[in-house]
Amino acid sequence: MSFVELKSVVKRYGQHTVLQDVSLTVERGEIIAIIGRSGSGKSTLLRCINGLEPVQAGEVWVDGVAVHDPASDMRALRAHVGIVFQSFNLFPHLTVERNITLGPTIVKGVSKSDAAILARDALRKVGLEEKIGAFADQLSGGQQQRVAIARSLAMAPNIMLFDEITSALDPELVGEVLLVLEAMARDGMTMLLVTHEMNFARRVAHRVVFMNQGRVWEQGPSSEFFASPKTEELKSFLSSVLH
Amino acid sequence: MMRELSVLDLAYLVIAMRWTVLLTLLALVGGSTIGLLVAAAGASRQAPLRHLARAYVGAVQGIPLLAWLFIFYFGLAILGYNVPPWVAATVGYSVYAGAFLGEIWRGALVSIPKTQWEAALSIGLSYAEQLRYVIIPQAVRVAIPPTVGFIVQLIKNTSLAAVIGFVELTREGQLTTAATFQPFAVYLIVATLYFCLCYPLARYSRQLEGRLRVIR
Repeated sequence: MSFVELKSVVKRYGQHTVLQDVSLTVERGEIIAIIGRSGSGKSTLLRCINGLEPVQAGEVWVDGVAVHDPASDMRALRAHVGIVFQSFNLFPHLTVERNITLGPTIVKGVSKSDAAILARDALRKVGLEEKIGAFADQLSGGQQQRVAIARSLAMAPNIMLFDEITSALDPELVGEVLLVLEAMARDGMTMLLVTHEMNFARRVAHRVVFMNQGRVWEQGPSSEFFASPKTEELKSFLSSVLH
Repeated sequence: MMRELSVLDLAYLVIAMRWTVLLTLLALVGGSTIGLLVAAAGASRQAPLRHLARAYVGAVQGIPLLAWLFIFYFGLAILGYNVPPWVAATVGYSVYAGAFLGEIWRGALVSIPKTQWEAALSIGLSYAEQLRYVIIPQAVRVAIPPTVGFIVQLIKNTSLAAVIGFVELTREGQLTTAATFQPFAVYLIVATLYFCLCYPLARYSRQLEGRLRVIR
């Protein structure tokens, strides 16, 4: 079985179908970029993988856990599936350090002193060791997003999900966040990225998935994907974003 | 028989303040207990609980405090329970404070963005842990200024308990006026004493607003 397997997943909000018969597999160590127009279901797809959104039909398997089954131990799963959001979502009442140590100490029972070491290590990976005592509102958007990544990393995830994590950033701050992602890619992290950064997707992703109208419309190795799109929809999407 | 307004009268008024303060504290204890339940029910995922909380808040806010005091004092007497004024006042003010505090706290809970719940859920926290470590600490910061503001209202509104014979600051003022027939001087003193209680709290509430670290 693959590390992540989605089988014929259907997701509806009331009458509105967001994901229509979506199937996708992800192998350990793979880096997949998910692209598509807004409303194509790419963020929803990501949120179904860590169970933030329940699915109406189909199966979602992550590391052998049946995410679609409400009886599964989601707490254990989420401890190993990191997710980073577009809007950072740091806890504003806690320091950077406590933002990072909250999960390890409470969910995993790591001691305070060990968690402090985890926090320092995670912050070093995102290049923000000096901000350990800061609060979110004292950081730039790029710094907040790097702390959010560190918060996920401190849980030692097997897979990281990134939901348009550079979309809310000023253009000059995007680079520092992408650098962190590239370093994680080099370390062999399994990653799913919903992104609008086409150049980044081409350079770093092993495989690119194009979502359209709630379906996986086209996918392929990033080397071929951008050079020779097969469907008209992907061609028109690429021409509109690559200008 | 009439007599002059004396320093002794001033002393009595100051001493009567303790009943104002005590009634406020009792109302806060009762009101906080009810308010916590109302806030929890009002922010709950269960629709019937939310309706119940809304009905309670609506009933209390839609009926004057004075009417509630009469209901608890005279109403209970009709039912055969002769309660002393301080019991009726405590119950009446608790019911009143419970609705307002409950509404303030419910508002604070639901003001915390959904994304905070999601972020907490995503690092594996249970529902109770999300509340305890992420939501409530932020909601408390949101709730403190309006809560202190409400306490100021509560202190002033305890003056209504005078009508059911509870001898607090205002009632003591009435009694002093009856003896000295100097209403203007007496009520000026009464007003000043209320001001001395309320103004520092109101100032404190405004200070807190600027200091707390929450999502804006």
